[in-house]
Amino acid sequence: MSKNKIAIFGYGNHGKFIAKGLALDGFDITIVESNKVFYKDAKSNGFENVFFADVTKDSELKKMNLESFAQLVCVMDDEHLNVFLTLSLRSLFQDSYILSISDSLNVTKKLQMAGANKVIDLYEVSANKIYNLLDRPIATKLLEEFVHNKEGITFKEMLIPSNSFLDGKMEEDVDFSSYGVLLVGMIDEELGHAFVFVTAGISHKLDSGDTIVCLGEKDKLDAFEALIAKKEI
Amino acid sequence: MKELLLSLALFLHRSTKYKSAKQFAKDLLFDANNAYKRYFDLTIIFLVVSSVLILIYEVKNPVPAWLDNYDIYVVSFIFAIEYLLRLWVHNDLSEMMIKEYNDSKFLNREFSLYSVLKVGVKEKLKYMLTPSAIVDLLAILPAYRPLRILRVFILFRVFKLLRYTKSINQFVDVLVNKKFELLTLLFLLLFIVLTSGIAIYILEADKNSNIHTLFDGIYWAIVTISTVGYGDISPVTDVGRAISILIIVSGIAMISFVTSVIVSAFSERLNELKEYRIIEQMNKSKSFMIICGYGQMTKMFFRQQRKPIDHYVIMDTDITRVEAAKKDGYVAIHEDASSHKTLSKFDAEYCDMTMLCLTSSDVENIYITLNAKSISRKIKVIARVNDPETIDKFKYAGADEVLLPNLVANTMIYTAIRQPTMYKAIHAILTGKSIANIDEVHVHASHAMVGKQIEDLDFSSNKLLFIGIQRRGKFIFNPPKTEIIETYDVLLVMGRKISLEYFKSQHEGDIHVKK
Repeated sequence: MSKNKIAIFGYGNHGKFIAKGLALDGFDITIVESNKVFYKDAKSNGFENVFFADVTKDSELKKMNLESFAQLVCVMDDEHLNVFLTLSLRSLFQDSYILSISDSLNVTKKLQMAGANKVIDLYEVSANKIYNLLDRPIATKLLEEFVHNKEGITFKEMLIPSNSFLDGKMEEDVDFSSYGVLLVGMIDEELGHAFVFVTAGISHKLDSGDTIVCLGEKDKLDAFEALIAKKEI
Repeated sequence: MKELLLSLALFLHRSTKYKSAKQFAKDLLFDANNAYKRYFDLTIIFLVVSSVLILIYEVKNPVPAWLDNYDIYVVSFIFAIEYLLRLWVHNDLSEMMIKEYNDSKFLNREFSLYSVLKVGVKEKLKYMLTPSAIVDLLAILPAYRPLRILRVFILFRVFKLLRYTKSINQFVDVLVNKKFELLTLLFLLLFIVLTSGIAIYILEADKNSNIHTLFDGIYWAIVTISTVGYGDISPVTDVGRAISILIIVSGIAMISFVTSVIVSAFSERLNELKEYRIIEQMNKSKSFMIICGYGQMTKMFFRQQRKPIDHYVIMDTDITRVEAAKKDGYVAIHEDASSHKTLSKFDAEYCDMTMLCLTSSDVENIYITLNAKSISRKIKVIARVNDPETIDKFKYAGADEVLLPNLVANTMIYTAIRQPTMYKAIHAILTGKSIANIDEVHVHASHAMVGKQIEDLDFSSNKLLFIGIQRRGKFIFNPPKTEIIETYDVLLVMGRKISLEYFKSQHEGDIHVKK
């Protein structure tokens, strides 16, 4: 199962945007559509793996070899179809990671019951943004930039390799800011693959195999990633 | 004479002192936002209450002379001044004179003092005849010793309080709306009372020992028709009793009719009155928010709040959605936010007003945005945009922030697929999970932090992650430890809410107070 293989169901309002971004990032995209117009759209936008299929038929879904995909993304414009699809996919492929979009609380609940691993509520994220804009406008705008920037200041996740000089050190003993980056948090394998923010107030030992998330300028982050591969500095 | 008055008017016209004094008096009397109006109102209310209390006490007890003098002279004197002030600011004679003079000079016609004064004085007289002005005048009367018999006029001072109670005004307002129905009934009532009063007088004046004058007859008719029935006068003849039966029956009908008219008038306007109250309350607060539309987005918005929003109102043109919002426990009114009349009821100049245009229609949202901005540029507008092509229109209409739900959600999905680990982190930060709250610390002019180095602030011991400084519109990421904090910097800090609050409380305060 390749980490880069993503199946997107639906090439409407959401699918179009997501597919374009992911394709630019080098993901291997497969698009499934049941609407003739959107299907043609996807084709004409240069996607090679585009299937026209009736997603309500299990036999057609089975044919597509969906087990090999890292994520199945359900973003059909029709909410009913989306819930049905999520349910079909879950019953057919127990181990797949399914991400679905919802446009209301009730649909979110249904999608979760249908077995989606992650549900993103269209209005929840927007409503949250409005709330944040009112509550802390500057922080929200900067944060958005950090999240969306590919250049400039951004977040990056890095794996601590074995033999790294970070291996075995306590997190507070390393002065990250002197490298021009800030440690935001890490995935601690010792704690069972949980994401832990540095500000949680728990001291962590950095081990090889842990993933750290840093904030910084793109080139500083790249330089730092190269640096942590070294044993001594 | 003419010249004298004209030069006096010119003098007043040029005098800034006179103008500011008049403006001050006007504000004091009418402007709810005037700082002194509250105290002025309280003084008047105190004077009214105290003089009525004295009047009650006086009935059975001797009153000391000083209290009597206070009641008669001090209170009346202040009321007299108030009355004159109200009369003075009602219109501006000198301005009218100057205008007329300039006009006649322009038109080459003779300046006529008489016509100006006639109009001006007429206006003043018109004011003097309004109910509130008459009450004011009657409240002063007890000061005149020979009119001590009019002592009961002090009760008119109580009516002065009406000026300060909005509910009475609203009550009157409701009644005025039903003027036609009520007047019809009143005439009918008058007709019945007069005819039956006269009839009983004619029929029983010589047979009934209690009826001597026509007034007795009319008094009896009113007592009977109102179903009060004291029983001090009662008919003694059969015809008199027959008339009684007639007025008792018509009285019951009439009273239930009047009651139903008033009740229906109130229930018709109940929502309006409630909405009026809500708007009043919002205008009293320093900042408030108007949320247009009660759909998915608004529902979600309320689920996001981590601390309750103090002053807000939801507006929707669809009554079923307004009812739904009320059922969910929110403050909602059935109003059209795109109408100028609705929004101008809010005080955008004195309060910080934020509008959230969250309806599902772009056309509606743009219209509301434009409407808000046309009332005051100060109103902050955050608008929801559905069609990306209309973004420019929103910007043009003056929206401070625009937001595309589709785009925001798409970026989220995109991030969730592209960087699943990061998504968790970012989601936690964006939703303000307590361990990952990113907050801004605003450095004010007299903040204790000003002039300190970043090193001195010791973020790490507070378990905070210092990210950078927003300074004059530019963001300085991870500045060197020797960087000095300036006034109006905004520090971007991440950490638990309690750490952030503790940090803020430690460093907030005045430079000079800080050791």
